[in-house]
Amino acid sequence: MSVETHGHSNPHHEHPDVVGSRNRLGVILILVADIAMALSVLFVYFYLKGQNVNDMWLPAATEDSPAILALSSKGTWYITALAGLGAAAHFYGLKGARAKNATQLVLGGGVALVFSIAALVYQFMQISSAPFTTTSGAYASCYFLIAGLNALHLVLTVFIALGNWNRSRLGIYAADHWHVDIVNVWWIWMTVSSLLGAFALSFA
Amino acid sequence: MTTMMDRSASAPGHAAGKRPLIERLNIVTALVLGTVSAVVVWQLALRFLPETPETSLFFNREDKISLLSLIGWFVGFMTGIGALIGPFRWALGKDLNHDENMFLAGKDQGIKRYFRYTTDHKVVGIQYLVITIIILFVGGTLAMLIRTNLGHAQGGWIQPQTYNAIVGWHGIIMIVATIIMITGPFGNFIMPIMIGARDMAFPRLNALSFWLIVAAVPPVFISFFTGGITTGWSAYNPLASQAGLGMNGYIAFICIFAISTMVAGANITTTVVKMRAKGMTWNRTPIFIYGVVASVALALPAFPVFFLSQIMSGMDRAFATSFYNTAGGGSGWLYENLFWIMGHPEVYVILIPSVAALMEMAPVFTRRPLFSFNLAVMGIAGISGLSVLVWAHHMYISGWAPLLNAPFMLTTELISIPTGMLFLVLIGTLWRGRLWMTMPTASIYALLWNFMIGGITGIYLSDVPADAFLHGSMYVTAHFHYTLMGAGLTGALASLVFWFPKMTGRMFNKTLSWVSFWLVQIGFNVTFIGMFLVGLAGQPRRVESYAEVFSRGNLITTMGAYTIMAGMLVLLHGVISSWRSGVKAPMNPWQSKTLEWTVPNPVPLENFETLPVVTSDAYGYGKAKS
Repeated sequence: MSVETHGHSNPHHEHPDVVGSRNRLGVILILVADIAMALSVLFVYFYLKGQNVNDMWLPAATEDSPAILALSSKGTWYITALAGLGAAAHFYGLKGARAKNATQLVLGGGVALVFSIAALVYQFMQISSAPFTTTSGAYASCYFLIAGLNALHLVLTVFIALGNWNRSRLGIYAADHWHVDIVNVWWIWMTVSSLLGAFALSFA
Repeated sequence: MTTMMDRSASAPGHAAGKRPLIERLNIVTALVLGTVSAVVVWQLALRFLPETPETSLFFNREDKISLLSLIGWFVGFMTGIGALIGPFRWALGKDLNHDENMFLAGKDQGIKRYFRYTTDHKVVGIQYLVITIIILFVGGTLAMLIRTNLGHAQGGWIQPQTYNAIVGWHGIIMIVATIIMITGPFGNFIMPIMIGARDMAFPRLNALSFWLIVAAVPPVFISFFTGGITTGWSAYNPLASQAGLGMNGYIAFICIFAISTMVAGANITTTVVKMRAKGMTWNRTPIFIYGVVASVALALPAFPVFFLSQIMSGMDRAFATSFYNTAGGGSGWLYENLFWIMGHPEVYVILIPSVAALMEMAPVFTRRPLFSFNLAVMGIAGISGLSVLVWAHHMYISGWAPLLNAPFMLTTELISIPTGMLFLVLIGTLWRGRLWMTMPTASIYALLWNFMIGGITGIYLSDVPADAFLHGSMYVTAHFHYTLMGAGLTGALASLVFWFPKMTGRMFNKTLSWVSFWLVQIGFNVTFIGMFLVGLAGQPRRVESYAEVFSRGNLITTMGAYTIMAGMLVLLHGVISSWRSGVKAPMNPWQSKTLEWTVPNPVPLENFETLPVVTSDAYGYGKAKS
């Protein structure tokens, strides 16, 4: 390999766009792993539903226990809606960042944070108020799996939204805003994954 | 401690003489905090978790306590090593400054940097090398216990259940060791320099991927003392759901390791895509880089599936869910599918970087260009693409979807074509070359021989009628050892000798490398040809005693295994003695043309004073101007 030893002479000052592009690709690749897991969860759900082993997808009533009925998927769609609103609020803040409008950035980030907390609280309420337990057959198992993973996503989202809002508030994104762009990627995926869960639970 | 940090400037406000938190965290704080967290969670769980309801089928309070304690260990360890500092500093808006980043990079810290959350890719590479050696040593010791027990038809000196646990433990830790043995040490130390980068794209994620493996190891080691992994390394459910507490260690180990693999995959891929030197087009990118990227890119979507399978296994054990429990509507086939969707690409996660490393060495030691670079890339891409479409050949005999047997047989056999391309590239490069006979050169021949046997025997296993006879026999064990060890490990050992001078600044002792090579290769072939013979004769795998008719074959196999052990001990001696007092290595002892050989020994912190601009490919041997 022939080389010439000239080129970038200052290694410590890469252009923010270069750093941003690199970080964006890294986040997308990590999301590939998360997407693979989300699709696997859907596979688990529809596989077990399709197999209905021993008629235990939704167990019938016995002498000891009532029949297990599928939950209305409305609640999961509400959570998806909250996530979508959060994503929209974040995107509003991102547009502010691009326009160098600090107030819009802070406002968008703050509202997105509130929506993420609301979605998380609602998700926990939904899990805790389920009319069955983890031992209630395959549907119930899948329900808790999907809800649990969505709750995990929402916990991460709250952390990220909090950090993003705090950094916006401190004026850290005044010079460049690639962090906000990357957080936007996360918000989009988080909403899509919530939607996939809601979609699956609509076909009980 | 010596640091370059100007403390008054970098951390204003902290008391004079008191070291900032980032400097106080190391492996000791990690072990202490991890242990304390595990014990505290264990005690809290004992106190507050309700007793097991009698109505539950598999619900087990001890499983919950065990899994919670392992989660406590994990969180405590990662906090104690300093993995959470970056994210929390980001959220607080207090990003690490230049001096702190230099501290994390291990600048001027001597040997202490190897015990910290150090971000320098070269430190991480050495850390990976050491942990790989340790894991291989433990796995090898377990292999010797297995073979010693099988040296006699009645076995006998290991209890059957303990024997099962040893087999499971040997399997899973060897799989992990072989997954990381190339991409860990050489993917981290060599790869960034080879592409002309100053570091990995995400240095903190790089440290994270290593320390996650360190955090994952104690749970699987402890599992041995809490019932062991008695299911074999595949941990099929519902068997695993009903196994002892040791299975929780397996679950924790796999989950943590999967996260490490995902993080490393994203990091390595981003580094290669975004940080190659100016002028290093894809046609000028060394073939080793293709191998590493193909490996981690395969792992990136495959390991989350394995992760999920273990999460559900843990839920079945601790919460009595019904993913795999047929009484509750679950399915064992579900586990098999999820496991092998990861399990077969994983074979190529191990194999491809080893073959690519040897393809990288072949031009160096034949002084010829790589024969058909494009064919090599096509072969790697073909294997990677097909490897995700073959998983169900492990399930022919399970009864799952018999109609799919033929398509899976076809895709499995198709994989021979891109594999053949890689053979052609290696043979074409060796053909009429002016051979410089070193241990890595001999390893290329060894790989061709071993991989040929592993590949051809694999064709029989991919064939449904033949598999009906061979499935579950020692033939299968011999086959996958020929691919993972005969091909995979051979490439890794050659890589060790080849890149040892750059990583340590010392030449690997030539005599010891040759002695080790011949002992390992002869021992290996004796061991596993013997195993093929008893397998063909009908000896099942995973048994601790067998019929007298298999005695001779097993005795030969055990003798071969002891020969391998001798060879590996010679190699270990070579590593230690060469590292401590070997001949100092020149900058480019092999007269190679890739970029890692253009930097001095020891490699400077940021690799290159000025970043190189590449003007030709790395294989211009024998040309007038290269």
